[in-house]
Amino acid sequence: MSTATAAVASPSRANRLAPAIADAIAQEMRADPRVIVWGEDVTISVMGPTKGLVAEFPDRVWNTPISEAGFVGAGVGAAVGGLRPVVDIMFSSFAYVCFDQLVNQAGRLRYMTGGRVSVPLVVIGTAGASDSNAAQHSEVPSALFLNAGGLRVVFPSTPHQAFWLTRAAIRAEDPVIILHHPALAATRGKVGMTPLQLGDAEVNPTGSDVSICAIGLMASRARAAATSLAAKGISAEVVDVCSLSPMPWDAIFGSARKTGRVLVVDEGRLTCSVASEIAAGIGEHAFGALKAPVRRLAVPDVPIPFAPVLENFVVPSEASIISAAESLVGA
Amino acid sequence: MSAGKGPTATAERRSGSDQSLLTERGAAFMRSMVRIRLFEETLAELFAKGGLAGVVHLSIGEEASAVGVCSALEPGDQITSTHRGHHHMLARGLEPEGMFAEILGKATGYSRGKGGSMHVAAIHLGAVGANGIVGGGVPIAVGLGIAARQGGTDRVAVGFFGDGGANQGVVHESLNLAAVWTVPVVFVCENNGYAEFTPTQSVTSGPGIARRAEGYGLPGIAVDGTDVTAVYNAAAEAVHRARTGQGATLIECRMQRWRGHHEGEEVYAGVYREPAIMGPDVAQDPIDRLEQALLDAGIDGVALRAQLRSEEAAVIVSALAAAQAAPLPEVESALQDVFA
Repeated sequence: MSTATAAVASPSRANRLAPAIADAIAQEMRADPRVIVWGEDVTISVMGPTKGLVAEFPDRVWNTPISEAGFVGAGVGAAVGGLRPVVDIMFSSFAYVCFDQLVNQAGRLRYMTGGRVSVPLVVIGTAGASDSNAAQHSEVPSALFLNAGGLRVVFPSTPHQAFWLTRAAIRAEDPVIILHHPALAATRGKVGMTPLQLGDAEVNPTGSDVSICAIGLMASRARAAATSLAAKGISAEVVDVCSLSPMPWDAIFGSARKTGRVLVVDEGRLTCSVASEIAAGIGEHAFGALKAPVRRLAVPDVPIPFAPVLENFVVPSEASIISAAESLVGA
Repeated sequence: MSAGKGPTATAERRSGSDQSLLTERGAAFMRSMVRIRLFEETLAELFAKGGLAGVVHLSIGEEASAVGVCSALEPGDQITSTHRGHHHMLARGLEPEGMFAEILGKATGYSRGKGGSMHVAAIHLGAVGANGIVGGGVPIAVGLGIAARQGGTDRVAVGFFGDGGANQGVVHESLNLAAVWTVPVVFVCENNGYAEFTPTQSVTSGPGIARRAEGYGLPGIAVDGTDVTAVYNAAAEAVHRARTGQGATLIECRMQRWRGHHEGEEVYAGVYREPAIMGPDVAQDPIDRLEQALLDAGIDGVALRAQLRSEEAAVIVSALAAAQAAPLPEVESALQDVFA
């Protein structure tokens, strides 16, 4: 294979994050007639993850009434009945409207039936603050999903992750929630040839002074922060926790043992956040390697405010990540 | 009872007019209803003796709705059920032994002892599951119907719920979704007069639950839920509509709940129901009604009932003994089956 060919080799022509989700769905729909898409305005796809699908699959892309409990519940039933439904609830904050169907039904059916029922359902929603959508459209409820159990959760921060994790989600036998950040929808990047599976993390860049375990938009900001930190002589390693369930513990512990200093950055609320879980896990399993207490950086325990100046204040920024990393390494 | 007068409600049917149905299916109806009654009475005795963990919601007095509906189904059709769902499961063909074993928390139970009374399921028999959340299984039935149609089959899904579930938002969302997508699903509301401990009529607006179907452009049928032939006829009509691509139907089966919301409730609930509507003295007994209908049709319903009762009693005794002798689950199994 020539260098030129290798440079363009990609399983997807999508070069932005939300279109990479859509392309992965399209490819699965071509390969598997059981894959079907429904949800809120999926033919228009305001947030992008199903944009364009209706043109190729007019009979398998259905707009729903704004009835999250009803159409997510129908997704549960359709999954049990043999389909591979991909259900878009638009904003993951709307999961609160259909929590019974997500948690008590999708997340419990396998267990309650002694393993005899599978729910291969995918639910997609945005997660995170962007453009002043305020308290009821901006939250990152990932910690609630992890605590509820029975649900797989991924939160890609690059087109590559978005493509491969969407593909893995649709092929999984468990219910999977795909979170995607509205501020990352247009993020550019190539979909590479190396597949990602549920439970994978991506470590990039590697470093030796401090580990930054970060999720979603925070991973993107952590990578930018690592570049700035490098210019200051601090070698930061970023563990992009793009799969939250399964949690990529090996990558997290490996980095923690390597650097001995860990900053966890999460756009969820601090109390009982995914950052808290990661910090606790490191404390239990890699304590001996730590040179400093694990530091959490997350949204303070307030709803996401409206005013741009307030929204920016509560969400961890590149600057706050740099500051926290610097204090952790004692710089 | 009074059926609604709207265009989508049907008049109550009389069992005496269904001679051919009774000739063809009367014995099967009787066997299934007697089996359910004996199964539930056995559970009541076990509970009273302290032999059951957890909560059991018995379906005594409601046998006809389960048997009438499930008798109108074919292999491959699927049902979702409720917290009060033993009668649905038995009518769908689940074996008493596996049911007892599940309710006793045994490894041989249909859900390996992880579900219990409220979460019995046997997907290979088309019983996708009972459900502890009121109304929770109804959208799942809609999804099963969608999957049946998209898969190119003529399978039908049935979503059972109660009068309590009729007031859940997700049930209304399901009716709307099934209507706009013409889903092959039958919604069956068992209106037994009490939503847990609250009289249904005190918390339920409008002229009847069946009439709510009109608001979604669906046919709604109110039937006497103690008349198995009336239920069967309504269900057969609804299943035919679903199977032939004509979409969903709502059936309201009206009956009375003989037992409490759950066994053992008297320790805290006291008397919350009018004695006049409790129990077989005044409520219509669906088995008595079938016996009489058989007699009216020239069939010896008394002898048939006695014979089937004897046969089914032996089945129940044997099933319970086998379930009681079955092993407990390995405790480590509590950590399995969360994910694939």
